[in-house]
Amino acid sequence: MTARHDPQAVDLATIRETLASGQGPTFWQSFDAVARTPAFRRFLEREYPAAAHLAAGPDRRGFFKLMAASFAMAGLAACDAGDDGRAKEVAYVRQPEGLEPGVPLSYASTTVIDGYANGVLVTTVNGRPIKIEGNPDHPWSRGGTDIFGQASVLGLYDPARSQAVRYLNRISTWDTFRAAMIGPVAALRADQGRGFRILTGPITGPSLIAQIQALLTDFPQARWHMTPPVSQGGLAEASQTLFGRRLDTRWHFDRARVVVAIDGDFLDPGPQQVGLSRAWVEARDASAGPLLTLHALAATPTLTSAKADYHLAAEPRDIAALVDRLAAAVDAPPTASDGRTAQWIARAATALRDAKGAGLVLAGAMQSAAVHAAVHRLNAALGNIGTTVTFTEPVLPDAGTVDGLVDAMAAGDVSTLLMLETNPVYTALSDIGFANALAKVTTKIYAGLYVDETALRCDWHLPLTHPLECWGDARAVDGTASLIQPTVKPFYDGRSAAEILSLLFDGEARDGLAILRAHWQGSQNAATYEPIWRTALLDGFLPGTASPEVSPPALAPKSADAPGAPLDLRPDTVTLLFRPDPTIWDGSLAASGWLQELPKPLTKIVWENVVAISPALAQQHQLENGDVVALALDDRSLDVPVWIVPGQAARTMTLTLGYGRRVTDTIFDGLGYDANVMRASPSPWLTDGVSLTKTGRKAVIATTQDHNSMEGQNFIRVARDGDAPQRQGEGVRPSLYGAADKPKDERAWGMVIDTDRCTGCNACVVACQSENNIAVVGKEQVAMGRGMHWLRVDRYYSLAKTDGNGLDDPDTHFQPVPCMQCELAPCEVGCPVEATLHDSEGLNLMVYNRCVGTRACSGYCPYKVRRFNYLDYSGGVAPSIQSGRNPDVSVRSRGVMEKCTYCVQRVAEARITADKAGAPIKDGTVQTACQSACPTRAITFGDLADSASAVAAKRNDPRNYDLLGELNLRPRTTYLAERAPRLPAKEG
Amino acid sequence: MRQLFAPGADAIFRLSLLVIGAGVVGLFLVTAGFSRSSYVTGVGVAPDQPAPFSHKHHSGELGIDCRYCHQGVEKLATAGIPPTWTCMTCHSQIWTGARMLQPVRDSLAQNRPLEWTRVNKLPSYVYFNHSIHIGKGVGCSTCHGEITAMQLTSRANAFEMGFCVNCHRNPRQFVRPQSEIFDMTWAPPADQDKRGPMLVAQYHIGRPDRLTDCSICHR
Repeated sequence: MTARHDPQAVDLATIRETLASGQGPTFWQSFDAVARTPAFRRFLEREYPAAAHLAAGPDRRGFFKLMAASFAMAGLAACDAGDDGRAKEVAYVRQPEGLEPGVPLSYASTTVIDGYANGVLVTTVNGRPIKIEGNPDHPWSRGGTDIFGQASVLGLYDPARSQAVRYLNRISTWDTFRAAMIGPVAALRADQGRGFRILTGPITGPSLIAQIQALLTDFPQARWHMTPPVSQGGLAEASQTLFGRRLDTRWHFDRARVVVAIDGDFLDPGPQQVGLSRAWVEARDASAGPLLTLHALAATPTLTSAKADYHLAAEPRDIAALVDRLAAAVDAPPTASDGRTAQWIARAATALRDAKGAGLVLAGAMQSAAVHAAVHRLNAALGNIGTTVTFTEPVLPDAGTVDGLVDAMAAGDVSTLLMLETNPVYTALSDIGFANALAKVTTKIYAGLYVDETALRCDWHLPLTHPLECWGDARAVDGTASLIQPTVKPFYDGRSAAEILSLLFDGEARDGLAILRAHWQGSQNAATYEPIWRTALLDGFLPGTASPEVSPPALAPKSADAPGAPLDLRPDTVTLLFRPDPTIWDGSLAASGWLQELPKPLTKIVWENVVAISPALAQQHQLENGDVVALALDDRSLDVPVWIVPGQAARTMTLTLGYGRRVTDTIFDGLGYDANVMRASPSPWLTDGVSLTKTGRKAVIATTQDHNSMEGQNFIRVARDGDAPQRQGEGVRPSLYGAADKPKDERAWGMVIDTDRCTGCNACVVACQSENNIAVVGKEQVAMGRGMHWLRVDRYYSLAKTDGNGLDDPDTHFQPVPCMQCELAPCEVGCPVEATLHDSEGLNLMVYNRCVGTRACSGYCPYKVRRFNYLDYSGGVAPSIQSGRNPDVSVRSRGVMEKCTYCVQRVAEARITADKAGAPIKDGTVQTACQSACPTRAITFGDLADSASAVAAKRNDPRNYDLLGELNLRPRTTYLAERAPRLPAKEG
Repeated sequence: MRQLFAPGADAIFRLSLLVIGAGVVGLFLVTAGFSRSSYVTGVGVAPDQPAPFSHKHHSGELGIDCRYCHQGVEKLATAGIPPTWTCMTCHSQIWTGARMLQPVRDSLAQNRPLEWTRVNKLPSYVYFNHSIHIGKGVGCSTCHGEITAMQLTSRANAFEMGFCVNCHRNPRQFVRPQSEIFDMTWAPPADQDKRGPMLVAQYHIGRPDRLTDCSICHR
C-alpha cells in the first residue's frame, strides 16, 4: 500500500449530482474530497499519510536488518569530530566600513520579471544577500513582492549557473573572446554594421536601451530585435491597431465603483501583479457604500477570475461576441433570460450603467485586438476614459520582431548575431524555425545565465551576472526607473549585458556602474549630480520617472479592426490556450527549486505542467486526472496528461509554458510538456481546432491539493455586503483546560489573515521558504505528501460566495494556513520530550534539538501545519546554496519536526533591541516574512495584548473568525471572512 | 561426599559481587568524570593559535580595553574577532620584527585572513547575543573567566545548557552594576543576595520563567 494519493476513478456525474443536491461538502479542494473516495478518506484519517510507505515497508527480518544497519551508523555518527565548520574563527584583514558582523544590512534594488521592475530591499548578512523584502517607498510595488522576486535569491546561489566563457562548448576566457572579436567588430564597423543583429529579451532599462541605440547609430545597418514580454501577450498589437501607435493602458481602481474583467489577468503572476493587486484590494477595502465588485469573464480560471464576485466561464471564441452583447446590454437592458451567461451580462451591464464614468472594463493581455477594441469602445461610451482608464507612453522600447530576425537569418542576411538575456531556441514559436535559421549565422554570440538550448547552438557563450550581483536598471509597469545595485561581488566570472556591449564595442571596456551613472548623469555636472545619485541609490528608483500620461487617443473606426482568424468550429475539436506558467513563467525561471516546488495556485501541482480540461469535456471523453491525451493539429502533436479544472470553459484546454525542456545537468531536464510545440503564429496564445484523443496511458502527477486536508467544516466564511454586521467567529468559550493559569506576559503575539485581500499569489509561501531555510524535497517526495512548506495556501471551491455553477464554474477561495499557534495546543500534549511548547509571549515553539521524531505532534494537529524531515533534505545540498541560508534560523536535519513559529527569529531580534533600549516593541516593528512579502497586505501581525495594535483592531472586526473554531483551541492566528456583494434578486 | 564449594568460595562470591557493584558504580563515576573532564568540555585547554596571543599581557598588563578589539560586544550579537588591521595599529610600530608576529604580518601583506582556532563554541542551534547580556549586567568574566590572567586563552566554562540555564534561572546571583562589567576579577560581593534583586529590578530583567523560554536561545 502506498500513501501516494493517486487520482482515483471518480465519477464526475455523481460529483455533479452530489454538489447539486447540496449533500456534498460546502467547501472542497478536490473531486476526491467531494466523492469522499477511499483514497481521500485514507489521506484524511491516517495519522501520518506521508509515512505510510514506511509502515507498509519491511517485514520482521527486514526490520531487524535495517535496525542493525542504523545501529552501526549511529555508532559512526558518534565518531564525528564535532567540527560543524565553525571550528575556526576567520577575521577580516581589514573590516569593511559599515559592515557589522551578523547584522542585516538592506540595499534598495530591483527584481526583474519579464523585463519589468519591482522595487525591493535586499537583506544581506555578513555580505551575503539572503532575503528579498518589498521596498515600501517604491511607487509601483509599494512594499509588496512577488514569487519571482522572492525566489531570485536562490537563483543567485544556483551552482548550475553558467560560470565561464565558452567557445564551441569548451571553456574559454573573456580575454580570448575580446581578442577574437576585435577583427570582426572592426570589419562590421567598416561595413556600417551590415549583417549585424542584436536579439534581446524584453528590456526596459533606460541605460541599456540608450546603449543599444547608441550602438545602432554607430552601426547604421545593424538591427535590434526583441522577444516580446510574455505578460504583454497581444497588447502591443491591439494598441497599434486601436490607436495607430503603442500606448500603455492604466487602470485606476480607486476611481472605480465596478470592475468588469474580460479574461482579465491583473491579479495574476506577471510584472503588473504587485502594483495592480494592491491597488485593487485597497480600492475594494476603501469603497464606502457597496463593495467594489469584480465581474470576470474567463476562458480558463485565473487568480483574477477566482477573486471575482461574479464569474463566468466562456469559450475564447465567444468572448468578442460577449463583449458586444455586454455593450448592447448597457444601452438597452436585455429581456429577461435564465441562462448564466445572460444573467452575468445583465448584472455587469446594470452595474456599469449605474456607475457611468466610474466603471472600469478591462481585457487581459492575451485577448485579441478586436476584444481590446470592443472593450475600449465600451469604456468610451460609458465615459470611463480619462477617469478609470488613462493612457501613458509605452514603457517598452521600439525594436524589431523575432519573426523579422528569423526571416533575415534564413535569407542569409545575418553574419553576426548577439543574443542577450533571452533563450529564443526554446521560447520562439515552433513554426518559425529559429534553430534552423540560426545555423546560417556565421558568428553567434549568446550571453545568458545558464548554458541552455540557445547556448549549446552558439559559437560563443558568455556568462551573465545575476541581477543581485551587477549594476543595471529597469522600469516598472508604471514606468518608474528602478536601479539594480549589486549586493555581493559576482560569484562567477560573469558580466552584465551592459558590460558585454561595452567590452565588444567601446574602446575601453567600462564597468556596469560607470555605464549606469554616465547614462543617468547625462550632461549634468558630476559634483551636483552626486547627491541626486546617492539619494536615488538609497531609494532604489529615480523619482518622477513614471511614464507621462497622454490624452485619450482617437480610436480607429470599428471597420479597421483586424478580422480575427476564421474560427474552427468543428464540433469534435477543442481550443488550446497558452499561458505563462504561474510559477516558472516562460521557462526562464525553471532552474529555481523554490518555484518548481511551489504549488501552482489553482491546481496545486508541482514540478511540472499539465493541460487543464473542463469537467464537461473530461466527462465526455471519460478522462480522469492524470490520463494522458494526444493533442494534434496538422503536423503538431503533443501527448500530455490532463487535469480537470473547475471553471475552465467547456471546450477549452489550457497549457502553460516553460516545461518540456531537454537540457542535461539541470533540475528541469525532462520535466513537464513543451507547450511551444503546439503554438504557432499568428495566434501564439490560442490554437483552435485541436483534436483530442485518449491514449490510455496515465501519468503520476504530484499535487498538494489534498495534502494536509483538515477535518471539519466552514473553513471559509463569507460576509455578505449589506447584511447587518454579524460576528463570524464564535468568541471565547470555556475550556476544560485552564488557560488562565498559563503565565501571562506583557505581549501576546497574534496574526490575522484577511481572506478577502488574499489573491492566492503565493508570495508569502516563497518568502517563508527563503526566511526559514525550508528545504526543497523534489517531486517524488511531494507526491508522498512530504512537502515542507510551513505556510500553505489552501484553495477551496464552493457555491458560497455568489451563485456559482456547481462543478463547472464554482466560486474559488484562497486561505493561507500557517501554524495557528493555538493557546491550547494539542500538539504539545502529544510530545513526549517537550520539544514543542509555549513561550510566555504565546508562540508555540518547536525546539529542533530536542525533537526525537515521534511525529505525535503532527498526528495531534488538527490544522496539519507540521512538517517532518523524513530524509536529510538540507544536508546534502550544494555548498553555494547553503551559503545563502538565513544564519538566524536553525537548519533542520533528518528525523526532526518543523513548523511555522511566527518568525521567532524576528521576534527575538525585536525583543532584544527593545530590551536594550528599554522601550516597548512598537506595533509594526516585527513583520513576519509572509506579512512583509504580501503584495495586498492581507496579513497583519502584532501584539494582541496591545489594544492599540493593528492586529487587535483586526481581531475586533466582525469578519474575524477562528479556523476550526468548534475545536476551541484558541488559535492566535485568525481569519477575516471573505466579502461578497449583496446578491441582487435573480434577474428573470 | 566432597563439598561442592571450597570454604573460600563464599568469600570469592562476595568479592565478585562487590567488584561488580563497585564496577557499576565506578563506571558511572568514570563516565560522569570523563564527561566533565576538560578533555570533553575543553575547559582550561588552550588550543594552538596562529600567533600566541596573550590576553594577560595585552589586557591585564598593558590595560588595553576589551572593546578595543571586541568592538561589537556592547552593540551586537557577536563580540567580534579583531581584523588584522587592529593588531597592526600597534605592531606596525612595535615588535615589528618579532618572529611570533610573522603570521600577522603575512596576513596583512598577503591580504589573507588569520584563522584563529575557536575557543568558545556554542552549538549551531543556540543563538547567543553578547549585547543584551552586557546591557543586563552580566560581566565578561561570568562566562569567560579571568581572561586578563590567561597567558594563552582557554575556555573558562563548559558552555553546556546547564551553565546557561543556571544563570537564566537565578540572574540575581550573577548580575553586577554596569561600572563593573569589564572587571575581570569580579566576584559576587558579600551582600549580593541584597544587591542582586535590586539590580534585577533596575535592569528590568524578566521573570525566571520568561528567561527560560526555549525561544530565548533556540530558533
